[in-house]
Amino acid sequence: MKNLNKHYFNPFFSHIYVETAVLGHPFTRRILAKFPAAEIIEIRHYKDVFCRSHQSSALQHRSQKLILAAKQGTLVYEGAPVCQSFGNRYFYYTSCAMNCIFDCAYCYLKGMYPSANIVIFVNLEDIFAEVAQILRMHPLYLCVSYDTDLPALESIAGYVREWCAFAGKHADLKLEIRTKCADPALFARETPSPNVIYAFTLSPQAVIDAFEHHTPSLAKRLSCAAALLQAGCAVRLCFDPMIYVKGWERHYETMLAQVYDRIDMDKIVDVSVGTFRISQDYLKNMRRQETKSAVVWFPFQCERGYCHYPDALMEEMEAFLTGRLAGRIPEEKIFRWDMETTEHGKA
Amino acid sequence: MIYIFTALYCEAHALIRRLQLVKNQKTTRLQEFYNEQSGIRLTITGVGEIAAAVAVSSICTAYPPAEDDLMLNIGTCAYTRSAGAPQTRVFEDGEGVFLCNQIFEQATGRSFYPDMLYRHPFREASIVTGRMPWNADAGGASDNDIGHAGAGVDGNGYGGKTSGDAKLFHVRNDMLYDMEAAGVYQAGVHFFGPHQMIFLKIVSDFGTADGVSPGQVERLMEMHGDALLTFIGQLLERMTDERQRDTSPEAELADKLCRDLHCSKTMEASLKQHLHYLALAGADVCLLIQNLYKEGIVPCRDKREGKLRLEELKQTLF
Ligand code: SF4
Repeated sequence: MKNLNKHYFNPFFSHIYVETAVLGHPFTRRILAKFPAAEIIEIRHYKDVFCRSHQSSALQHRSQKLILAAKQGTLVYEGAPVCQSFGNRYFYYTSCAMNCIFDCAYCYLKGMYPSANIVIFVNLEDIFAEVAQILRMHPLYLCVSYDTDLPALESIAGYVREWCAFAGKHADLKLEIRTKCADPALFARETPSPNVIYAFTLSPQAVIDAFEHHTPSLAKRLSCAAALLQAGCAVRLCFDPMIYVKGWERHYETMLAQVYDRIDMDKIVDVSVGTFRISQDYLKNMRRQETKSAVVWFPFQCERGYCHYPDALMEEMEAFLTGRLAGRIPEEKIFRWDMETTEHGKA
Repeated sequence: MIYIFTALYCEAHALIRRLQLVKNQKTTRLQEFYNEQSGIRLTITGVGEIAAAVAVSSICTAYPPAEDDLMLNIGTCAYTRSAGAPQTRVFEDGEGVFLCNQIFEQATGRSFYPDMLYRHPFREASIVTGRMPWNADAGGASDNDIGHAGAGVDGNGYGGKTSGDAKLFHVRNDMLYDMEAAGVYQAGVHFFGPHQMIFLKIVSDFGTADGVSPGQVERLMEMHGDALLTFIGQLLERMTDERQRDTSPEAELADKLCRDLHCSKTMEASLKQHLHYLALAGADVCLLIQNLYKEGIVPCRDKREGKLRLEELKQTLF
């Protein structure tokens, strides 16, 4: 029997909801085997649980549940023209999971999804089939850690390994795996693949402490990135979103010193820089959920449906970082996100 | 505040006594019991989905719940026994209380999911809400007049024979079966989020509701009273903890500052947004406001000056 004690909340993944249709899927069985104590609840469709009205993402983040489902309809999406494609012509993304085990206060997923519970789509084979079909027409630059942090789910889903194996068989496919994860065991096994880019989101430790709950420290992320570089993997550094905190110049300066200390910048594929920005609708939802989070209650400047730091502050912060980076990495490798691009509040 | 709904008085008696609830003498339509101090309001809904839904919406309209309030549906239910299982399977001590993690409405086949956030000492199960009591021998919902908590004793009008029950949902073995949960959920969802609704059911029978008397239900609830009370106590404790974290001492000072800056509605919203952000970012907002008074920046003569001061203030904040 479980005990009710001072820790009021159930442990993470105490309950796993499984669509009837995927109960027998090998990935379902593999995932469920990792949670022998979980209550398994059979459901018809993941939206019955995920899309209920008036959910509290803040409370759900204290006891996240897992939902295993089959993804239907379109499985691979074309990136909007305004998305940063890092110079790639055929930019696509796919969501084989929704939501994240980390809990960044500024994460746009909180504004986009009605729930904080995590959905893992187990029919990865269908996504692979759709990607293969697109590859028959043209090469592909595909972001697979979209609307989630896929490496952070690796011990549960094992999808990074699946994607890397798939990319290994398709020379025309370039993958971006974006993460704040820093599990050395996860990356140690990766053999360098020229068509997989590991993109690490980096923030000053003060920002991590204040807003990036449950994420690895900056030092750990850097160690992980350094180890991958050393192993010959392609690594991108994302200083995006930059978050305003008091004394931000000092914090970002310190962060850069740590980066230069650990990372051989000559080996980096590229870097991205951008201050926090988000759609007004998502921000509204986030403020409803995160009543006590400084980062979403900043008095933003809002125009044309988007909210961002006041122009002067935004310019100052981005110019500061790009200026400091310019001495260490060729300018054409610095991708600065401008106001016209999509919202970016996640890793 | 915790809103508790039970179908019958005999299901509520043990809680009324333990939680020291007093009867609300002003109401006549529903039996209501409350304890202002501990923040509990208990209502007897009557048997059946419709009665339960009416009671929930009527009480929640009269006393609108706050965002951090909770709703508990507590009551007895049947356990759909496995074919061939002994007629009188008995749960071990304390095992007969279930927290429902999935609610099916038998008539429509719809399903509902309360969030399973809180630790608890109970077992969990799915529950089916049907229109008729569960009659194991007849292989499902019976057409007799007896509700699960020995209904027929409540005098609330339950008992009409229904025909043409769609039975879209096939009741499986080892599920709970009651006559209210789906109604409570569907009415509750207009006032509460899924994280605020909790369904606790105590097994009273295995499809032989007509053999359960009100006295037996009362004794059953008595037997589990301490476990229920401990759980309710923990929920109340958590609510108090959260509320203490939520108090903001600067709210009153901010109102005064708005008045002394002669703020319009727009200025007030802007100022409060900045102060709210600063407070969340860890600044001592009370000290900041007090300093404005000390330095003679406020009070301002008029709105014009207030507007100027407000802009100056905003410039210095970041
Ligand atoms: S910002 Fe990225 S790492 Fe943080 S919670 Fe969102 S998806 Fe996860």
